[in-house]
Amino acid sequence: MPQRTKIRKDEWERRLHEVQVTKGDLNRLIMDYLVIEGYKSAAQEFSDEAGIVPPVDFESIESRMVIREALQRGDVEEAITRVNDLNPEILDTNPSLYFHLQQQKLIEYIRQGRIAEALQFAQDELAPRGEESPEFLAELERTMALLAFDSSLSAPSAITDLLSPAQRMKTAGEVNAAILESFSQGKEVKLVQLLRLLCWGESMLSERADFPKVDVHGGVSSDDGTGEVTPMHE
Amino acid sequence: MTQDHRATGIPNGVRGSSTVASSPPTRHTARSFTHSSVLFNPGTAYPYTTYEPRVIRVDSARNTDVACPQSSSVSPTRARRPSATDVRALSAQRSSVAHIPAPTTEPAPFSRPSYLEHSALRHLLQTESPSLPPPRKAESTAVRADYTVGRRVQRSPSYDSDEDDMSPPREVRKSTPLPVTTSSPALLLPTRWSDEYRSPHLTVCSDGRELIYQGTTGGSDKDVAPARTAVPVPPACGIFYYEVEITSKASKNRVSVGFIGQDVKMSRLPGWEKNSWGYHGDNGTICSGDKNGTSFGSTFGVGDIIGCGVDFTQNKVFYTKNGALLGTVFDNVGKDCDIFPAVGLCHPNESIHANFGQDPFKYDIEDHVLQQRNQTWAKIQSTPLKWPADKFPERSTDALASPSSVTDESVKIPVNELVLSYLSHHGYARATRALEAQCRARGGLPARTPSAISAEDYVMVNVGHGLSTIPSKPTPIPPPVPADDIELRTRIVQSVIAGDVDTALSETRNHFPRVLEADAGLMLFKLRCRKFVELVLEAAELKKKRATGENEMGVGAYGPGWGLDSLDRVEVMGTLDGMGMDVDEEGAGLDMNTSTGTSMSSTPISVKLTPTPSVVSLASTASWASAAAAQYASALEKAVAYGQELESDYKNRPEVRAIFKRTSVIMAYDDPLGAGGDAAEVAGQAARVALATELNQAILQSQGRPAQPLLDRLYRQTAVCLTQLALMGNGAAAFADMPKEFLDV
Repeated sequence: MPQRTKIRKDEWERRLHEVQVTKGDLNRLIMDYLVIEGYKSAAQEFSDEAGIVPPVDFESIESRMVIREALQRGDVEEAITRVNDLNPEILDTNPSLYFHLQQQKLIEYIRQGRIAEALQFAQDELAPRGEESPEFLAELERTMALLAFDSSLSAPSAITDLLSPAQRMKTAGEVNAAILESFSQGKEVKLVQLLRLLCWGESMLSERADFPKVDVHGGVSSDDGTGEVTPMHE
Repeated sequence: MTQDHRATGIPNGVRGSSTVASSPPTRHTARSFTHSSVLFNPGTAYPYTTYEPRVIRVDSARNTDVACPQSSSVSPTRARRPSATDVRALSAQRSSVAHIPAPTTEPAPFSRPSYLEHSALRHLLQTESPSLPPPRKAESTAVRADYTVGRRVQRSPSYDSDEDDMSPPREVRKSTPLPVTTSSPALLLPTRWSDEYRSPHLTVCSDGRELIYQGTTGGSDKDVAPARTAVPVPPACGIFYYEVEITSKASKNRVSVGFIGQDVKMSRLPGWEKNSWGYHGDNGTICSGDKNGTSFGSTFGVGDIIGCGVDFTQNKVFYTKNGALLGTVFDNVGKDCDIFPAVGLCHPNESIHANFGQDPFKYDIEDHVLQQRNQTWAKIQSTPLKWPADKFPERSTDALASPSSVTDESVKIPVNELVLSYLSHHGYARATRALEAQCRARGGLPARTPSAISAEDYVMVNVGHGLSTIPSKPTPIPPPVPADDIELRTRIVQSVIAGDVDTALSETRNHFPRVLEADAGLMLFKLRCRKFVELVLEAAELKKKRATGENEMGVGAYGPGWGLDSLDRVEVMGTLDGMGMDVDEEGAGLDMNTSTGTSMSSTPISVKLTPTPSVVSLASTASWASAAAAQYASALEKAVAYGQELESDYKNRPEVRAIFKRTSVIMAYDDPLGAGGDAAEVAGQAARVALATELNQAILQSQGRPAQPLLDRLYRQTAVCLTQLALMGNGAAAFADMPKEFLDV
């Protein structure tokens, strides 16, 4: 039984054709993406053009995005204020999120070279929390290590990563997810889940069968036997 | 594929806010009228817009996305994902169909146990029909064999997301059961002990669930008496579970419960052999391929209910006792062979009664399965997302330089492009533009200007997984679609849907000439055929109107100037019997909505009438009638002339003759739409939509874009991969329930 199965392309195409999915289904996946990722105007237009009722009101998308933008430009204080305006419970009930926001604030101080303020802030706000949990402490130590390097060029990447835009994105993503959760809206983008599932499915099946992989360029693979389809990953 | 039809069984109009209340039909020609989306309904308060940027558009009430009226269908009820409840209903229904009339000795068929609703392939799982040989079973086996060979008896309707979703809204659709597609295997569930695969010492009672030891001697190893089901456990269950109650009246009991492989001898207890797993009540041991086994702690005997489940996500077995989980044991169960529920008895008058889901289980198996399902999903979702390496070759190189953590941020650009290409494909022009602008502002698209956020923010993820980051054959990224392009394409497609082939033809010729030249002008020919059809329909409509005018003058209150401006499309609602009409206040235009009788009953179609000045000022019945007659004659003449032109233009083109032949059939009918059958199919709104879809795809392809949105392909690819995995015994795939995860909003 653990013999390798080979699935011919025409058979595969036939099965693809039989999968039940409608344009309406895919439209909803797209809407989910636009809403969660906060593309407010695109979501509005799409809702209008495709006749889809949006799962949340557009204003909440807006406020999430304002918060996200604040974090992305480094204005942590503004973000915290706005999250609390939206729903004070979000930060109250989520110590880890609150810590990460404070950590981000510390990072921003350091980035701006406001060392005295950074130290003061770390002592007042972060150190007490570091005592609460070893995870927080480790994060605090990593952040404080930024101060030890004159030029970030000489620092190990694990430390300089904190100064990268990706770190801001990470914090912003965490806040976004928490807000969505507070609206009992899914926080995982279904589209991304679908892509993960595809990656998982193709790699699992590759272990046991030969089958046409998806061609991300053409969508539908051409019929010449030579080109075959572009492997998803190999 | 564009010829496929789908049925919903639900007229589109039921959800339109502006659906006109229609009275019961009064004649056989009655139109079951539904709200036509292409048209403006004067009854709504929404502003009328002349240009709708969507390819397919419903109405201003924006609660649907159906460009065209309800499509007709040749296939039966539209298949839908079943909800848990209707799956039960479905299986009940299916069983009852499968099993008419049950002999009294046979147990009643039962519906699929509810814990199996967590399997993604639940629709394939069927409770075995108890009568042997059951007709249902024969059929299922045939289908199954067919699947493995890859040959099919019958094609099932396909579901093409590129066509418009003409299915009713979800809540309505939920009530429609999901049929087992003919190409998918029906998977039988074990529901009874086999009469064949059992020890001769055992008697199987009539319902197949009870076993009684009938031997005279007992107790020794040579007296052991196993039995198993005839049907193996389909791994597509994800988890399969059954319970056994020890009902013996014997003084001594030695019952064992478990699973065995196909070839295990029917003289050995479960667990004694290889490919055999058992839990033994007399000494409380579990064993597999080993007579002695290891202690499992608890013995069991008369009155106990032992549950036994196999979990294909781990290939392990778990046992329960009187509703409590005992533990999960064994490894590699069912990995290399089919496995069957099995029990072993040993003493005279020992008996057991099995529950394969016919009755409620003692153990909360549903919760158990749910937990496992959620864990499995979480595990799958924790695998890193890898986007194909060669999509963004230039960024892959960056990734090499600065390996970064794998986060969703890293695939933002490709996902954005995926979404954009989808929106653009379907002609959602405003959404496309809005998203493009927002993405660019956020840096979620490849940078165009130096000021955009640097590429390092969006490091590709294929790094660090041993993947080749150097593309074997870099493919250039197609340039983003200019917004004008979408609108243009949308306008062309919309013209076809509205029946305005001339506009579609000239716009296509001006902007996408290659579309008409491709395939030796096939698309041109198809469009011209459609034009011919539109001319015939127009003539038929005029004829009908003439008759109406004669018969019902005074009912149809035609305002002056009807039909004058075909661009100002006004929805005219066919009321009652479809002959009466409303004209909107402005009287600016007229669209005759008709729908056909039987098969096309839910397909209203708007036929545009070319204005004839003579009609305008007519007031009296007589002059109206004669003008109508003249109009009809001229329209008919025009249609015939066009048909002859087509005929002569393509007489040397044998490859397209068949299409033409099929098209010209409509000439034979006074009222092609009402004629039903082939003529209605050629003429109806569904044919317009199909042609519009085809034209949209042809335009896209002429620009080097895929005919289907990539997202559509990705979804299908995922579904097919998972189904294949689940059928091959991958339990995790069986729990990856795509409709539930992605489609139930």
